[in-house]
Amino acid sequence: MDKRFAMLPIICALLILTACAKPPREQIEAAEQAIKEAQASGASTYVPDEYAKIEGTLAALKKEETDQEGKFALFRDYGKVEQLAINAKSEAERLKTEATKKKEEAKAAALQAQQVAQEAVKTTLELVAKAPVGKDRAALESIKADAEALKASLNQVQMAIDTADYPTAQTKAKAIHEKSQAVSQEIEAALAKIGRGKPSAAKKK
Amino acid sequence: MLGWGALALAGSLSGCVEAVPQDVIEAVENIDRDLMELRAAEFSPNDYTRFAHQWMALKSRVQADEDLIRWPWEPNDLEIALRQLQEEGSHTVARLTKERESLRRSAEDKIARVEDRFRMMILQVSAIDSRLVLGQKPVETDLLMKQAHAFYEQGRYDRSLDASDRAAQNLATQAAVLSSELGRYANRDRISRWQEMAKDTVTWSRIHRTSAIVISKADRVLTLYRNGQKVLAYPVRLGFNGIREKRYQGDGATPEGRYRISSKRGQGQTQFYRALVLDYPNEDDRRRYRFGRKTGQIPTSRAIGGQIEIHGVENELMAQTLGCVMLDNPKMVLLYDRVDKGTPVTIVGALHEQNSVALTLAALDDRREET
Repeated sequence: MDKRFAMLPIICALLILTACAKPPREQIEAAEQAIKEAQASGASTYVPDEYAKIEGTLAALKKEETDQEGKFALFRDYGKVEQLAINAKSEAERLKTEATKKKEEAKAAALQAQQVAQEAVKTTLELVAKAPVGKDRAALESIKADAEALKASLNQVQMAIDTADYPTAQTKAKAIHEKSQAVSQEIEAALAKIGRGKPSAAKKK
Repeated sequence: MLGWGALALAGSLSGCVEAVPQDVIEAVENIDRDLMELRAAEFSPNDYTRFAHQWMALKSRVQADEDLIRWPWEPNDLEIALRQLQEEGSHTVARLTKERESLRRSAEDKIARVEDRFRMMILQVSAIDSRLVLGQKPVETDLLMKQAHAFYEQGRYDRSLDASDRAAQNLATQAAVLSSELGRYANRDRISRWQEMAKDTVTWSRIHRTSAIVISKADRVLTLYRNGQKVLAYPVRLGFNGIREKRYQGDGATPEGRYRISSKRGQGQTQFYRALVLDYPNEDDRRRYRFGRKTGQIPTSRAIGGQIEIHGVENELMAQTLGCVMLDNPKMVLLYDRVDKGTPVTIVGALHEQNSVALTLAALDDRREET
């Protein structure tokens, strides 16, 4: 009988130790990884408010984990931590998909605008090339400088695309397209004007 | 009897108390919506991050506490925290709304100021035919302003301001380029030398009792002297890059210096109605050209050029030449008949300090600070 009572504290200690809850490390790490991936996919740029919230959830999760760790082992409950981790992971995965989609849309829009701008500049340069050589060319010199500037600006669009700055690439490309069309109209007007004059042979000046 | 009453009261009170009133949660959700509409996460990330972190922390507590029943006399920390967040959030929304409006006005104002300056610069530069001096810069400015507009329309005021700032810097660079390339028009010593050259030419006309021509590029005026007396003054058109000092073939610039008419080409001998061929390049031109080649200012592929003439108009619609001096045909006839082979032709930048180019440079300099 004495021997059985003597075992009681040991059994209790064992019970306490086995009942002691542990943080859901695996779920927390999975949530952290999912948030990192969402960030890498551009979530902080393309869905910034939702990304800030997911970071807030992660911070709340960590605080809850710290709060639980500060409690007496028997009273620790990581259920909320686990639930937050599961929610955070699933939300981060959604954000990753959403950000990837938005990024792809932005990229597609930038590439489309770039192509339109390239074609417009090509048309402008072709018009410049059509201009008569020699004396009559003089009137087109400043337009030619504009066309060359537009051609050079296309590199900036490519640079913005290369650095994944799609909004800048798109606005720049649209600006080039717009300006290029204006320059083309100017050239056509100039060509119509000087076309009435006889083209001159090139000569030393 | 009293015991039953107390029990009923306690029961009804505890049963009516929600863990957190729904209205406060909805109020915070509305603040979050307002902040998102304000694009707070982009416009003021620190403010939004702080709000989002607090909101998410409290939201997780709301979700965990939702089934909890509280005694009415128990303090509800969560509700207190949510009401505090609601209050702070409302202040943040009000402040960011104000800041965003202020940013919007700044962007709008900046666009207007830079565009105004750009427009003025185009007009001024065009008035002195110096568009080509600026090369690709005007188009760069134009593109930046178009971007500033696009970002403004998208509500990205910070990006709009950035584009306008870069456009303003580009305009300042253009003003600096003009100042560097055309600064001689505002240089008192240089103008004195030009005045001296013109004076010598007039004196030569008086001494030799013959004709001499002085052309002022800034004024775009050709003046014919006879026996030292002004006989006629005609407006002229210059090269498409005529305001510049001629450096090499094809630059469109009209040369400055002392020349003579080397030959006269009458009708049928020139495509430009009548022409007075000048002896460009003279020794000074050759020396400058050699120096430019040596210092790399002139590309090695470029020759010095020639065939600089004072001529009539081949095509009435043509506004500029490739470097020659062009007169209307009736005036060209009058001039042609009054000069001979060997007549001195002095081409100068300007004859007075208040010339059009100097005034334009001064105006551009004044407006530089405004943007």
